[in-house]
Amino acid sequence: MPALLSPRHVALIARGVSAVVGSRDLAHRPSLMRAVAGVITPDGATVTVYLARSQSRQLLADIASTGRIAVVFSSPSTHETLQLKATRARLRDAGEADAAALAAYRAAMVAELGAIDIPPEFAAAMLACDRDDVVAVSFEPEAAFDQTPGPKAGAAIGPAGAPT
Amino acid sequence: MSGTVRLGDIRACLEGAVPAQMATCADDGTPNVAYLSQVFYVDEQHVALSFQFFNKTRQNILANPHGTLLVLHPGSAAFYRLHIRYLRTETEGPLFESMKAQLAGIASHEGLADVFRLRGSDVYRVEAIEAVPGQPLPAPAPRAGPLAAVRACAGRLARCTALDEALNTVIDTLTQALGISHAMVLMLDAATQRLYTVASAGYAASGVGSEIEVGCGVIGVAARERTPVRIGHMTSASLYSHAVRRSVRAELPGLALEQDIPYPGLAQPSSQLAVPIVSAGRLLGVLFVESPGEQRFSYEDEDALVVMAGHLGAVTELLQAPAEGGEPATAAGGGAPAPAGPALQLRRYTANDSVFIDDAYLIKGVAGAIFWKLAGDHVRHGRTEFSNRELRLDPAIRLPDVSDNLEARLLLLQRRLAEHGPHIRIERTGRGRFRLVVRRALQMTEIAS
Repeated sequence: MPALLSPRHVALIARGVSAVVGSRDLAHRPSLMRAVAGVITPDGATVTVYLARSQSRQLLADIASTGRIAVVFSSPSTHETLQLKATRARLRDAGEADAAALAAYRAAMVAELGAIDIPPEFAAAMLACDRDDVVAVSFEPEAAFDQTPGPKAGAAIGPAGAPT
Repeated sequence: MSGTVRLGDIRACLEGAVPAQMATCADDGTPNVAYLSQVFYVDEQHVALSFQFFNKTRQNILANPHGTLLVLHPGSAAFYRLHIRYLRTETEGPLFESMKAQLAGIASHEGLADVFRLRGSDVYRVEAIEAVPGQPLPAPAPRAGPLAAVRACAGRLARCTALDEALNTVIDTLTQALGISHAMVLMLDAATQRLYTVASAGYAASGVGSEIEVGCGVIGVAARERTPVRIGHMTSASLYSHAVRRSVRAELPGLALEQDIPYPGLAQPSSQLAVPIVSAGRLLGVLFVESPGEQRFSYEDEDALVVMAGHLGAVTELLQAPAEGGEPATAAGGGAPAPAGPALQLRRYTANDSVFIDDAYLIKGVAGAIFWKLAGDHVRHGRTEFSNRELRLDPAIRLPDVSDNLEARLLLLQRRLAEHGPHIRIERTGRGRFRLVVRRALQMTEIAS
């Protein structure tokens, strides 16, 4: 199967940009929270976003009960924005193995936000969480949409990044 | 903070310093997350979101009205979730125009002026607000809000007995107590649907007498829609720029002399706030402030200006009411000093009542007609004492109607004369009464169109 995401999309996520996660409950009520980190496998097949449990109880319950997830990745400095969706997201508690990813993401975001004059202490407070409060949510993207602001925002991205 | 968060408590989150996100859910159960350009505070129970594109969020809320908003406090980095329900879309009116003007500023800030167009204001009911637990930054030391300054202003306004005192009170409060560097008050000429500047502070030239069309620029839109318009970023959209001035020469091609008073405003403002002055349902004018700094004016500043504009409107209206019985004109000082120096050449173009003193443009329109009557009575009858009442009754002045803001027009004339030179001035001698002080002989010439 050809990859859904182009190398450019993979690179956007891999470099550490804002990640906001949504789901919905059985009554179709939406839930959302900003992730405290996000990573992608180099082949673009699997994405993992990290959420603070105490901040995301409804969202985590919704992902657990429906498997549905939508995540928007957006660069604060360039506005390049990508939304991924999946129907079979899974949860696990984050552990020691995730510590490096969390730290790298935080450093990347401090730099990203610093580029638009947001002070590092603000970026740190925005992403602050306790290690044992973090849940990892992994999924294989089934649909992707270009959401960079403009008239083409929302266009579905086909395999290897070709617009459908 | 105890349990419940009110929308008013987190208005700072809606200033757009950090973009908000929204989750919706499609009919088939697919969730969607989108970044928002604008979350607009409507009132304690409602927010409005800008509808710019027919995107997924738009499709979703029409099918399933539930949305969840995530906003971030720009000071503390604390998150709040708003559970909202779509109610309706407005495509015109005050809310729409306020959002449209603000969006134009946001769009040009983001370099997307050509892309962003407001199709509608989507109004949502806020059903619940959730303070998201986190590790926010400590709250900054409480800053004195503008309430004390507004209170002092209201107290002073209540004691004012003349319009110029009231305007000075408002301008002083803005510039001194609130630390706003550039401010203007404009009054409406209902007949021409133009706003003329009667007071200003912070500009190289006062610009008193300069005009803006209703509907033009941030000031004109605030007037037309009778709603505050607040922009935190410079907009390049010409619709909101006051820099484009209508040439008066184009109106009167035969006119030999320049008669445009330049608009005094900043050439490159970054923040602007215009608030309508309304009394008894009628638009009287606009209170306007601006700054070269971005995001200079907050919701709190807007609140303060709205309250001050309300008081100013009421005072303006009250001072407009004819004084019962009136104070007698002061007899002392009536004797005009003997004219010294060459006569002043007064010229009036009857087409638009524009008046020139020695080739320098003074004023036009109703204020021009008032001046011509005063000068004429002075030349023909040696009069110096006048009353508002006789101006209202004089058919030559053609006041648009009884509710016309004669006080504001007299003040405009008084200030223009003071800027022009020392030889002619208007002094108030009591409620509804004033004196024309003339230090030179006057020669009057009318030029018919």
